[in-house]
Amino acid sequence: MTRAGASAPVPAKRWWTGPSFLIGFALTGVIVAGALLSYVWTPYPPTQMMILNRLKPPSATNWFGTDQFGRDVFSMIMVGARNSLAVGLGAVGFGLVLGTTLGLLAAIRRDGFLDNLIMRTADFTHAFPAVLTAIMITAIAGPGMLNAIVAIGILNLPYFARLARGVAIQVWTRDYIQAARAAGLDNVQISVRHVLPNVAGVIVVQATIQFALAILAEAGLSYLGLGTQPPNPSWGRMLNEAQTFMAVQPWLAIFPGAAIAIAVLGFNLLGDGLRDAIDPRLRRSR
Amino acid sequence: MTTRRDLLAGAGAAALAAQLPLVALAQAKDSVIIAMTLEPPTLDPTSGAAQAIREVTLQNIFEGLVKMDRTGKIVPCLAESWEIAPDNVTYSFKLRRGATFHDGTPFSSEQVRFSFERAVAPESTNAQRQLFTPITEITTPDPGTVVIRLKQPTATFLYGLAWGDAVIVAPASAANNKTNPIGTGPFKFVRWNRGDRLEFERFDGYWGEKPTLAKATFRFIADPQAQVAALRAGDVHAQTNLSAPEAVPQLKADPKLKVSFGKTEGEVILAINNAKAPFNDLRVRQAIAHVLDRKTIALGVYGFDVDLIGSHFSPLHPAYIDLTATYPVDIPKAKALLAAAGFPNGFSCTLKLPPPTYARRSGEIIAALLAQIGINASIEPLEFPQWLERVFRGKDFDLSVIAHTEPLDINIYARDDYYFQYKNPEFKALMAKIDVTLDEGQRNEMYRQAQRILARDAVNGFLFILPKITVTAAGLDGMWTDWPLPITPLAEVRWR
Repeated sequence: MTRAGASAPVPAKRWWTGPSFLIGFALTGVIVAGALLSYVWTPYPPTQMMILNRLKPPSATNWFGTDQFGRDVFSMIMVGARNSLAVGLGAVGFGLVLGTTLGLLAAIRRDGFLDNLIMRTADFTHAFPAVLTAIMITAIAGPGMLNAIVAIGILNLPYFARLARGVAIQVWTRDYIQAARAAGLDNVQISVRHVLPNVAGVIVVQATIQFALAILAEAGLSYLGLGTQPPNPSWGRMLNEAQTFMAVQPWLAIFPGAAIAIAVLGFNLLGDGLRDAIDPRLRRSR
Repeated sequence: MTTRRDLLAGAGAAALAAQLPLVALAQAKDSVIIAMTLEPPTLDPTSGAAQAIREVTLQNIFEGLVKMDRTGKIVPCLAESWEIAPDNVTYSFKLRRGATFHDGTPFSSEQVRFSFERAVAPESTNAQRQLFTPITEITTPDPGTVVIRLKQPTATFLYGLAWGDAVIVAPASAANNKTNPIGTGPFKFVRWNRGDRLEFERFDGYWGEKPTLAKATFRFIADPQAQVAALRAGDVHAQTNLSAPEAVPQLKADPKLKVSFGKTEGEVILAINNAKAPFNDLRVRQAIAHVLDRKTIALGVYGFDVDLIGSHFSPLHPAYIDLTATYPVDIPKAKALLAAAGFPNGFSCTLKLPPPTYARRSGEIIAALLAQIGINASIEPLEFPQWLERVFRGKDFDLSVIAHTEPLDINIYARDDYYFQYKNPEFKALMAKIDVTLDEGQRNEMYRQAQRILARDAVNGFLFILPKITVTAAGLDGMWTDWPLPITPLAEVRWR
């Protein structure tokens, strides 16, 4: 077992039947399905206010009840899922593409100038508490979904940069890299053709985990009024607004809270499941 | 061993805790703890604009020549009586005998002159200097008389003397009033634990009727949920204005508490930038007025009915007229007006909202209402300093929601440079005339006319009056339930 390296084939064990993966897949499936469905159907338009029907508990007509403006909470949760996923995708995509690129660049010459510059910058970014930095960025750039995506994306950068560099440095020591070099490929070509494919698996696993964190960060920012803006529904803001109604209508807080919990748990478990299968370091340590 | 000691200590604490309610009950008869939302930055109402300063000090620590009673009427205070000479610019005040400051300084006409001259001095930080600028001369023929001469007849002069900015202070103590306020009022300052509470006690040398309370404490509780919890637990005996309207049903159901709904001078408006296209077109503003369903907005914000307004005027004033029917809710008509103005498909604009809950919630509902006629108002939440900078001073906005809390502030519509930029010579002339009309009946008629002009021109979307939600312990009487002036006179508060 200890002999297996990054180039070893995926083991025969069927990892996709692991409990983490299955539960994670089911939970994220629910969220993703809800988000996709919201494009074509919601029980009510999520921004439609029926003030006379405000603060109703869950019922057959409003499955999750109504909020202080008489909006249908179920519809809002569905569209909120869409927004959460969009922020997650955007932020993780941003961090993944830029972070991985920087990590691969840094790995080309270990301890070189570029490596030090990129890694120390990553350390610097990473040293700040994540959500606090996001608050700072959105406070400066103004609240809004796009700024939230960029802010959370920036926080994701160092994770991907470090991880990509760490794995890439191992790859650079392999014989086939020497062979590629002898064949006349330059550093960038080697990075793209030979290093990147070997890093990709680990990065995908990390992306799933970061996705959960991004959803949480978006909820936090929206809770503080810095993320998705009204009337666009957002789980975090729903929680914030529900806070003052806790005593009269606790359902208002329970549903968006549960949605956030399910999404975060789901993506974390999914990431764990994927890691069991792909992450070479983990496999080696078994 | 330690276990046993812990147990004993625990038992002691439990015994203490069991006694506490009894102690509180025994004390309750002549002391009160009143919670309010905001803490005052200082305790000197003559050197800062913060409303909270007035709320705690006016008519408690400090007094003016006149005061406003709970119905909004001006009544004698440090001035026993006054006469206005036939020239309409000379006011002779006969001062109260036997009034003294809390430090023993006797009250006399000299302090009146000192206070008013101090208010307009170059180094003065008085927030309402315009109250005193009409004054040309103050003479003190004897310690019991003050004669004030004005540049021109000023109808609101006496009214302004009831404000916190016009209280009488003494030369020796004025400089320290920010932290150790000394006035002539029925209560004197004891202690201020910043961030927590402010303690007053009865001033036994008070010239007027002695308060029944010997001790009064203001506590500052900003968090709405904490306000509710403190009231329900009996930690405080009253909340001057509850910040959690959603908790009203819960508090109403509590037999230990009583909840009253009152009016204030706070007109909540959808502010419209009258100088900016397309809002400079009357038809666009009328279209907006036709979709603003005030009842729905107020219900969505508060969950109960509040006073709706159709112009910039509070129902607390005798000249108030109900103009809410000027532009009734009528979507087809609103659409037709928009089409006539050249926007058959509506348009996009911004709706900048300051932080208070009433503004954020009204804003969300208004955005939904405007969408019915194709006006796509995108919400931009702002912090208060940003709002002041960009909307109020910078006039960089389309629509906004804000409460104007100063009493009788309809004259802001006569200021060309005011942030909503309404320019109407007819209205300005009317306001100038009101200023110099001393007959109350005539003046009120002119105020009615002014209200009609603003309603007709749909200058802003006039929504509702900020409610005052007063919550008190069941046995506590005398709290102001309306706020013609947002203050809490403790001398009128008593236990049944």
